[in-house]
Amino acid sequence: MTPWMRSCTTFAKLRFSLGALARVRWSSSVGPVLTADPTRALIDEQIRIRARLLPPLSPVTLWTQMYCEDGDLWQSCAHYNTDSDGSVDLCRDASVGGSYVGCEPMGLFWALQPAPGGREGLRLRKRNMLAPYVFNLCVSGGHLSPEDRGTQGSELASVSIERWYMAPGVKRMEIREHGLVGTLFMPPGPGPFPAVLDLWGMGGGLVEYRSALLASKGYASFSLAYFGHKDLPGPLDTINVGRWYFKKAYQFLQNHDQVCGDRVGVFGLSYGVYLALMIATLPGVEPSCCICINGPVGSTTPLADAEGRREPFEFNQKHWTFNAEGQVGFKEVSKPENIPPENIVEMEKLSCPVLYIVGADDTSAASAENADLLEETLKAADKGHIFTRLSYPGAGHLIEPPYAPNARISLWKVKPKKLFTLWGGHVAPHAAAQEDAWRKTLEFMDTHLRGD
Amino acid sequence: MGLAALVQKAPPGAQLTVRSHHHSEDKHDWEAFGHYICDSTGALNLSEDPSLGGTYEGVEPMGLLWSLRPVPGSKPGLRMRKTSVVTPMEVTVSVYPGHLSEGFSEQRALAAVVVERWYMAPGVRRIPVTEHSLTATLFLPPGPGPFPAILDLWGGGGRLLEYRAALLASHGFAALALDYLTNELTKTTGKMVENDYFEAAYTFLEQHPEIDGSRIAMWGLSFGTAITFKMAVYSKIMKLKCIVIYSGSHIQPVDGGLKEIMGHIVKNQHKCRINEKQELIWHDIFLPIPTDPAFKVDMGRLQCPLLVVVGLDDQNWPAYESAMDIKEMMEEAGNSHLLTLLTYPNTGHLIEPPYTPPTRAGLFKTVLRNETCMLLWGGETVPHARAQEDAWRKTLVYLREYL
Repeated sequence: MTPWMRSCTTFAKLRFSLGALARVRWSSSVGPVLTADPTRALIDEQIRIRARLLPPLSPVTLWTQMYCEDGDLWQSCAHYNTDSDGSVDLCRDASVGGSYVGCEPMGLFWALQPAPGGREGLRLRKRNMLAPYVFNLCVSGGHLSPEDRGTQGSELASVSIERWYMAPGVKRMEIREHGLVGTLFMPPGPGPFPAVLDLWGMGGGLVEYRSALLASKGYASFSLAYFGHKDLPGPLDTINVGRWYFKKAYQFLQNHDQVCGDRVGVFGLSYGVYLALMIATLPGVEPSCCICINGPVGSTTPLADAEGRREPFEFNQKHWTFNAEGQVGFKEVSKPENIPPENIVEMEKLSCPVLYIVGADDTSAASAENADLLEETLKAADKGHIFTRLSYPGAGHLIEPPYAPNARISLWKVKPKKLFTLWGGHVAPHAAAQEDAWRKTLEFMDTHLRGD
Repeated sequence: MGLAALVQKAPPGAQLTVRSHHHSEDKHDWEAFGHYICDSTGALNLSEDPSLGGTYEGVEPMGLLWSLRPVPGSKPGLRMRKTSVVTPMEVTVSVYPGHLSEGFSEQRALAAVVVERWYMAPGVRRIPVTEHSLTATLFLPPGPGPFPAILDLWGGGGRLLEYRAALLASHGFAALALDYLTNELTKTTGKMVENDYFEAAYTFLEQHPEIDGSRIAMWGLSFGTAITFKMAVYSKIMKLKCIVIYSGSHIQPVDGGLKEIMGHIVKNQHKCRINEKQELIWHDIFLPIPTDPAFKVDMGRLQCPLLVVVGLDDQNWPAYESAMDIKEMMEEAGNSHLLTLLTYPNTGHLIEPPYTPPTRAGLFKTVLRNETCMLLWGGETVPHARAQEDAWRKTLVYLREYL
């Protein structure tokens, strides 16, 4: 046999045995498998999504679908190519198209978008902490776009996962005492715990999800409503509480028997930044730290004064800006030069570490300018060392716990007619900002609320 | 699924006790604990650091689960089994200063977390089944299907036990948990079901729109294996793709069904022994291995793969002796390539899904005489716990391969 013949024979043998293998493999017809590890996790936990037993070196699409509490459908998809074993691992492989590209283990979550044909201007926010978000993940053959789905390529495998804001054992307590309106989340265990007062912005109402998550990390966390909540006094469109309300809230938390009274922090986003800084400078209030995300150091609208006089937020619309589509941006409202000086917090009185997080693409608040003013004021008072700034290019106003999708624009009001507001932020950089900011925020809290 | 527990910010080098506590559905308290010393940064990682004593020793990330035992003062002979699979098992894990072995409820813990352990993954569907007079529950995995399916049988205690079926569905297999001793039909007619009851269960699965009728397996434990062997070899209706046998035996009257098997046990009841702790050993009831072919399933006729899992300290059924006889029968008949045998030393009869605390002896209510007795199941805690983990993992691999 010439070498050529030998190799030919070898090749023939090899091909035969591969063929036999192939026959055995396909006759046992084990279907593709999609796994998520773990299938139940907290909203800020990274999970590992893998698909196996797919055709090797083939295009596949991973999809996610989720119906939020209001019944809207949110979805995302990503295009991958399987490896020579027929598997895809989102912690290892890069998406080559779809809702995100690159190696993004959690891309299917932060790149969620409302399904086409749904309501406009949606923003994903969870109201019920006692139930999870349920996601359906599946994998199909080919690189499909959302329009193709359902018409071509049926699902090859799927898995359901739950993502929670509340860990097992966390207790949720509605607080309606001493005139306060809020929800307190307590971690499991004997305590006492370090605590945080959690403040949101002029969207109003009672926003619980960040507190629920912080309690899942071991902090007693109190979400406080101060505007636009039916249990608060006065009309819904004005802030009817004054400084005394916030001081009471802080003291309520500090004096709680499961809280370490000397380890209480304040955390504010948007208008909540003004409130957090104001609380931190109240006489008799000495928080261990202050976390600020994208908010003003003063208020254009003063809080209710001692006689209960107040102004509606929308009273002063002179700084509202409208773009060509009629969408409103509130950024000018919080520019330091537009805030009455008497309404600016006496920042030089701050004595605790302050972490200020800036989304550089924030179109709703003048975050960078306010961070500058805060930093300058502290440096002038020889307190520059207490200030830490984190700045994220491409991130918008709503820097929230990670892996939730950003809303660049959302519906602000429906009456007298629909008004949409601009928050800013581009999908991928905003997602990266949320992940990094959250991790650094938790480290900051650990240092200043748990450290010596 | 694993458990990762981390303690931080304890005093450096301190002695700590990590304790788990579970209040079971039948209202008993179970606990496990390990004695540790945290490192110089005040941290402890249960996946890396050894327990120096307690209910488990060494580096055992899951020790807080599998070494759970009833708290002192509890009723003897308890066994942990979850009845409701739609709710999780809640375990509170706490850290205490010092090395404690008792009196936890009087002590103040330094910190605690609550862990949930689920039998049902998100998206698994639980469907009660009463068609064809069956008393069963079907668990379907999430997704489009069609799925391979497993007919899941437990043992002589009866009841409709769903947890293994729920767990199998969480791993991508449709599973039907079947009650065949305390089922509705038997309760109303007073008669044990015949072979056609099991065939009806098979047909139900075969015809189900979300199940691949050509891929149905059967999994039996203890008494359930008697049915599994009979159906796999003799049923003209069941075309099982493979079978799984845990702690079982092929020794039974070949003719007839459930009633005849039960009758055979009753006739040999006198071979039951009692040990010094007044625990009943039923191991010898089926022994010696009969030579009369009318009294053992003809394993040479089996045409599908077979996985046999045996605890070598099984005091309840002669699983090892039966397995050896099965192997011999199959070698003689030339179908022994179908057999996969897993044997585990110091492992008892109740080989359950992993991390379930093993029970060496326990109260058992048999359907035969409706009385409760203390049975010796066998097995030592640590090897039995390891066997449960290993057997489960290997069984899933086996099912993925052959089903």
